[in-house]
Amino acid sequence: MKNPLLRFCAAGAVLLASLITASAADSKLIVAMLPKSKGNAYFISCKAGADKAAKELGVQLLFDGPTDSNAAKQNEIVENWITLGVDVITVAAENKEGISTALRKAQKQGIKVLTYDADAMADSRSFFVNQATPQGIGQTLMDEAARLVGEEGEFAMIVGSLTAANQREWQKYVEARLKEKFPKMKLVAVRPCDDLKDKAQSESTALLSANPKLKLIMAICSPGVPGAAEAVKQAGLTGKVKVMGLGLPNENKRYVHAGVTDSVILWNTGDLGYLTIYAGVALAKDELKKGAKSFKAGSLGTFAIEGDNILLGKPFIFNQGNIDQFDF
Amino acid sequence: MKRYFRELSVVGALLAVLLGLAWFAPAFFSPQPLLSLVTREAPTLVVACGMACVIITRQIDISVGSIFSVCSVCAGLLVARGWPLELVLPASVGLGALFGALNGFLVAVLRLPSIVVTLATMVTLRQGLNLIRQGEFVNLPDRVQWFGLSQTAGQLVLVGAALGLLVALAWAMRHIAAGRYLYAVGTDAEAARLAGIRPQLVTLLVFVFIGALTGLGAMMNLAQSPQVQPLTGNGLELKVIAAVVVGGVAISGGRGNLWGAFAGLLLLACVSPALTHLHVEAYWEKAVQGAIILLAVVADGLRSRQNNR
Repeated sequence: MKNPLLRFCAAGAVLLASLITASAADSKLIVAMLPKSKGNAYFISCKAGADKAAKELGVQLLFDGPTDSNAAKQNEIVENWITLGVDVITVAAENKEGISTALRKAQKQGIKVLTYDADAMADSRSFFVNQATPQGIGQTLMDEAARLVGEEGEFAMIVGSLTAANQREWQKYVEARLKEKFPKMKLVAVRPCDDLKDKAQSESTALLSANPKLKLIMAICSPGVPGAAEAVKQAGLTGKVKVMGLGLPNENKRYVHAGVTDSVILWNTGDLGYLTIYAGVALAKDELKKGAKSFKAGSLGTFAIEGDNILLGKPFIFNQGNIDQFDF
Repeated sequence: MKRYFRELSVVGALLAVLLGLAWFAPAFFSPQPLLSLVTREAPTLVVACGMACVIITRQIDISVGSIFSVCSVCAGLLVARGWPLELVLPASVGLGALFGALNGFLVAVLRLPSIVVTLATMVTLRQGLNLIRQGEFVNLPDRVQWFGLSQTAGQLVLVGAALGLLVALAWAMRHIAAGRYLYAVGTDAEAARLAGIRPQLVTLLVFVFIGALTGLGAMMNLAQSPQVQPLTGNGLELKVIAAVVVGGVAISGGRGNLWGAFAGLLLLACVSPALTHLHVEAYWEKAVQGAIILLAVVADGLRSRQNNR
């Protein structure tokens, strides 16, 4: 800053900011929320829930993050918050190791730290608000698939890749649930789409003609769901072959409205933001301590805690009735 | 006959696979799914034609996948803003040609090796796109899919356009001077120069050409679906290079033709749906494709050793 006028303005701004926070700290807790990227629709919908919680609890919410998913910028923002002296910092970590040093520093200053959506190192935060366990995802996928076809018939799976760890784990839980609960259903094929919607479409087209008795396609990677839906639509099998899977509402809206895709499964991002803020405030007020087994978050009710993971619980199912309420 | 033995052997392999499928999995040939599958390969064929030209000129372009993505997303955003397709199509082709010109300038004028130059543009464009779009889909208005035609008509137009381009280019490569220049430069640039050809200009133009074709391919892909995934075209470079090499275009330049590349593309594209129809585990897909490429390369290697003797 070479310009003296600029320097003066900056000093004034800092002074003003500290005055505001000082006066606010008397009455209100300040909870800071760091998304991976603040322009991303996913995190904006998290913020909507967080705003609601902050209003209910009467705390001040600071929502700031990099404009692009930038790990270094995340550190910078946390450092600023430490200087500002906020009460709680909640973080969706872009880089697990990278952010942890800054978070440890915050904890040393007496700031409570929580992670949500993407965890940091375990010693750098008190709790992780875990949006979905692999088991929960696998079971919800399989149960919903069974419901759509009346617990009977052939289905196929589109996966992102045959080797990715999270995909293999979800697939394992889907298959375990299938074996355990739905004897009349049969998984006839598992095809990889390399995370490409176009390839998911070609694979689904081949699956449909190779398996005339197919009743459902389940895609467990997000580009797979619209890809499978486009294949079913082009084959003229809308309604006859169901499409469902893990994905984002905006990528699937038109197929859900056209009746091609029945269910899109993810977690409720608004609830994730809501729960995160409630947990953060409880932490700051010493109402939530290490070793707790459950936690009550306002109107959403009680959530289970496993170790230091607060579980958001069962994934959320988007369908024709509710998908338009979500924009991410 | 002997001259085209290499291409004919690929066609033979393709026919053998198709016959096998006709016997073991006749459902493969049900018209609608087959048309959809073939239409999905139309954009790939267009880019593969460009790649064959580049490799015949003894260059390579591994940035086509990234150029494809960038053109797709830009075209998608323009369409979503309400631009008519008649304007978006030349815009996409022009944008592709522009990136091609950048590659061509660096390779032909600054004399940098094409594999390094296009590696750099490939990574830069891909990461730039990731940074800006963060993986977010572009949703398109309904009028775009199949250019507003019926699905079957749209698919036939796309397949017809790709095949028409193939025929025209294959003919041009054989009968038009500019086409022969590619072979001349790819065989021996110095000899070509002495014969009055300007190798630098030919190299520059061939990169502009593949860029333009990639932009065209992106549009042909855009018209098949109501949304654009920014990752689209990821890995396209490997797919088309493999198709071209399997089809008998020598990686050392100067040899091969578009018909071979076409057969190579079909052979490799068959593998995945064929395995699905034969109910073979998906793990085999890449292995089978790899084996086909290996076989082709070994065949070329043996052949050039024979010729050198």
